Amino acid sequence: MEGQMILLLPVVFPILAGILVLTGSVFRKEGRRASLFAAACLAGELGLVLVCLYVGGELTVWRLTDTIAIELCVDGISRLFAALTASVWFLAAVYSTDYLSHEEETYRFSGFYLIVAGVLIGLDFSANLITLYVFYELMTLTSLPLVLHERTREAVQAGLKYLFYSVAGAFMALFGIFFLAGASAELTFTAGGVLTDAALMGKEGLFLLASFCMIMGFGVKAGMFPLHGWLPTAHPVAPAPASAVLSGLITKSGVLAIIRTVYFIIGADRLRGTWVQNAWILLSLLTVFMGSMLAYKEPVMKKRLAYSTVSQVSYILFGLSLLQPMAFVGALSHIVFHSLIKNALFLFAGAVIVTTGWTRAEEMRGLGRMMPITLLCYTAVSLALVGIPPASGFISKWYLAVGALSSGAGAWSFIGPAVLLISALLTAGYLLPVTIAGFFPGNDFAEGETVRGGMEKKEPSGWMLWPILILSTGAVLFGCFPGPLLSMLETIAAGVL
Amino acid sequence: MFWETAGHLSANMEATAAVILFGVGFTMLLLHRNLIKKIMGMNIMDTAVYLFLAAKGYIHGRMVPIVADGIQEVTAYINPVPSGLVLTGIVVSVSTTALMLALTKRLYEQYGSLDLDEILILAKEEEEKAV
Amino acid sequence: MSLVQNFPFFSIIIAMFSGIISSVLSGRKARNLSLFMITVTTALSFFVLCYCQETGESYTYMMGHFPAPWGNEIRAGVLEGLTATLFGLVMFLAVLGGIDHTAADVEPGKLNLFYIMIDLMLSSLLALVYTNDLFTAYVFVEINTIAGCGLIMIRQKKKSMSAAIRYMIMSQLGSGLFLIGLSVLYDVTGHLLMSPAKESVSRILAQGSYEIPMLVILAVISVGLAIKSGLYPFHYWIPDTYGYATPTASAVLSGLVSKGYIFLLIKIFYRVLGNEHVIGSRLINILYWFGIAGMMMGSIHAIAEKDTRRMIAYSSVAQIGYIYMGIGLGTDQGMIAAVFHIFTHSVTKALLFISAVGLYEVSGNKTDYHSLRGSAYRNPLAAAGFTVGSLSMVGFPMLSGFISKLLFAASALDGTDWKMLPTLIALAVSTTLNAIYFLRQVITLYSGPRSGPKKAAEVSSAGNKSSWMLRTSILCLIAFNVFLGVSSQPIVQAIADGLAMFD
Repeated sequence: MEGQMILLLPVVFPILAGILVLTGSVFRKEGRRASLFAAACLAGELGLVLVCLYVGGELTVWRLTDTIAIELCVDGISRLFAALTASVWFLAAVYSTDYLSHEEETYRFSGFYLIVAGVLIGLDFSANLITLYVFYELMTLTSLPLVLHERTREAVQAGLKYLFYSVAGAFMALFGIFFLAGASAELTFTAGGVLTDAALMGKEGLFLLASFCMIMGFGVKAGMFPLHGWLPTAHPVAPAPASAVLSGLITKSGVLAIIRTVYFIIGADRLRGTWVQNAWILLSLLTVFMGSMLAYKEPVMKKRLAYSTVSQVSYILFGLSLLQPMAFVGALSHIVFHSLIKNALFLFAGAVIVTTGWTRAEEMRGLGRMMPITLLCYTAVSLALVGIPPASGFISKWYLAVGALSSGAGAWSFIGPAVLLISALLTAGYLLPVTIAGFFPGNDFAEGETVRGGMEKKEPSGWMLWPILILSTGAVLFGCFPGPLLSMLETIAAGVL
Repeated sequence: MFWETAGHLSANMEATAAVILFGVGFTMLLLHRNLIKKIMGMNIMDTAVYLFLAAKGYIHGRMVPIVADGIQEVTAYINPVPSGLVLTGIVVSVSTTALMLALTKRLYEQYGSLDLDEILILAKEEEEKAV
Repeated sequence: MSLVQNFPFFSIIIAMFSGIISSVLSGRKARNLSLFMITVTTALSFFVLCYCQETGESYTYMMGHFPAPWGNEIRAGVLEGLTATLFGLVMFLAVLGGIDHTAADVEPGKLNLFYIMIDLMLSSLLALVYTNDLFTAYVFVEINTIAGCGLIMIRQKKKSMSAAIRYMIMSQLGSGLFLIGLSVLYDVTGHLLMSPAKESVSRILAQGSYEIPMLVILAVISVGLAIKSGLYPFHYWIPDTYGYATPTASAVLSGLVSKGYIFLLIKIFYRVLGNEHVIGSRLINILYWFGIAGMMMGSIHAIAEKDTRRMIAYSSVAQIGYIYMGIGLGTDQGMIAAVFHIFTHSVTKALLFISAVGLYEVSGNKTDYHSLRGSAYRNPLAAAGFTVGSLSMVGFPMLSGFISKLLFAASALDGTDWKMLPTLIALAVSTTLNAIYFLRQVITLYSGPRSGPKKAAEVSSAGNKSSWMLRTSILCLIAFNVFLGVSSQPIVQAIADGLAMFD
């Protein structure tokens, strides 16, 4: 191993902690102990990650063969993703200490939750394509138990669906990786791409096909049409903190893989104007629209939020597909904002289920009286997602739209922003009714009706409330003071485009 | 062309007969349903190869490699190696035949039939019943 | 001539003599002798490997007083030493893992017969690896077949009998073809020893005479050995055979027996017919297409299977398809990938069969896929072994299967023209298919019984624990698999060196 050894710590520490939780008998009897331990470890993890981001550097962990090595490094993109992952993961863990007291076998959840955290940091720190692929596959495998946690028949079916889609996607991407490995000696991520014209001579058609396969393959994880089918099935059956991180962060790993592939290996210039770019733009816009439509029509709250993820992540993919600096900044900022927002939304949904047992949106009336603070947070992030200034979603959508208009991608420059606008309206349509019904339940809504435990003020406990608060505040604050974030993203964009 | 081929074939009639017998034996082993006939086919197939090999040892106009009137020069005898090969082959063939016949006897005891298709069907039914 | 050079001969003779001696020993002594003998021969093979790596070339060893081309020879090089070591290791772990089951499945008076078969099997495998003479190869191929049949039949349950006869029939078809191919080769070249035969063959090919006989020889030998190793469409005997034997026998049959024949085929390609000629002919393409067909059809049949043993057996069909596809690519890289896959598959298949047995033990000896539900909680080590084996088959990184796939893909991208796309597509599709049935089984293992975890706890306390031998075997095989996955570079290098000195 050569390089900064400290980079290995945030990867290995949570994995070891997770294994400890899974095997240690002390955690089996008292479930809460496991989730508290997990939260504590993740707080430590957050610290470790911040240290690593400060220190920076690279590390060669192991040489698999003479040409393939497992390498980690810290660059702009790694910083962004790792910081986001570690903080949100920690907050969701705090939330789950209380939420999971309603579930069985907490230790199994907490154990795998820790392990996935380590794997994701490894993914964020990956320095070459093979390392990325290794962690990607590991992530699929280790996040599977989180989906399956409840072990009902639906959960197992959903888990299998998630697995097969992910494996199929990973192998499609592997085809692309093989091709690139053949075409280039280096697979290390370098801003602007690694391929040379000489290497691709005569294989242009195949190169485009391989790129497309990689985008589609990694896009499965990100929920891009047509391979998004696993998302709406997996989210409702997983426990709320699992759905939160699934939507908020695991889907982003697919996005990370695409960013690394397109911008750091293939090079944005090679794909500009090709059929691959056009197909990508088309599919992402289709997903944006379709996801919003399906979310609008979906009565079950968690499934609605799942469709919303499908749609929102495709905003990000759309931004990436334009291969243009402003759109790129918009996409990256939306990664941050959407993670915060979606996590808050799912944690909210979980809080509602735990307190009232309601899973359908139309049931959620009068929440304003029961849990005003929580509902306020929900409203704040909903407005952010819709894109109302000064909330954060506005910034990312603005950048996306401007980037689209100046990207020179033909008709897409206009269709894109139009679709974004329609989708924003639909977003309002599927998120805001809960707020409205919450604060203004209508005259026919009698007090004390259809709610277990009565309608008295019953905020979720501190453990659950504080993470929701912090996430929502973050979502709003980034909108009010986006400066530092945006300048960092613009630096990254300048490097690759 | 036809007469040429016929001429060639009859000049090498041992080889020709060997190949024809090989084909016969191979097909019997593959396609017949009766186990005993399959084993017979296997034997015919193997014997055909021995015929081929033994024939290849023969060199026209020379004698058997038995030293009768003192050792003659090398070129007076036929090639003795193929006979050795054939002997080895016969041993192998006999062992395999013995093994297959023992198996056949067992199968007959258990299923009461020498027809392979029938045996396989009975075995499958039995398995399904056991599960 | 150093002592080490005698080792190949010693290992074959020791194995054979153990078999002979075991006929008068009791079951337990025969078993111990067997294990001891396998250890010794593996160590000998390892020394041969080291010696050949040091000298950097292969050597021939005269058997008896007469030099080539009249006498018999064996030849040892890096590849032979490596293969012999690996086969010995897998056989040791397979025998170790299945000791209890062997003792349970076989009648007490006949236990020594089982170990005789194992000894003969090892001796024939070693002979196939080292031999330099075609007719000796034929004889040992037959010994291999008979030993294999003995291993299948030893259970004396009805299904194993019918599996055994089917196996013998298909095997004999293959042997017959191989034999006639040999005979025609002898007729045309006048040699049975491989190296002189090759000179003769090259002369013939240079002159362009005997065109059709050469083609026939090539075709008939390849088809004969392909039938024996279970290439699609000659695979019908595999599921019954591998599925119904005792665990040691299944592991040995699926992991080693077919590989011995494939190794012989590769040897004949390199050392008798000449690699360039083989590649130039169209036969390589036929092997390639059948390999791909086997990859697909094997996996498709496996998906449809409910019985775990048959599912693993069908997966063997698919994996043998991979190997033939690698050979069929016709490049040096493809051959390296194929040989590496031979190693990977031997280790992984043994692991799968032995772990599966551990799982059957705690599920009331039932083998269908539903009965194994939740068995991971009853026998965690066996489930871990099964999971590692499955993930390796699917090609998860850090395990040996991943390196195999990487090698196949790299060889497809390098230097083959039209074969690249079908290979890559076949690799991707078959991996997904593999994932479907293997991962489905793994998830079933880990999903608890619906009545909750308490019932599982009862069952596990009631069931018997697997013996330490089974557990050691599984652990070692897992370690081996991970080793191949993580530090494959020296082994791949050794294979490449070995193939370079193979002809």
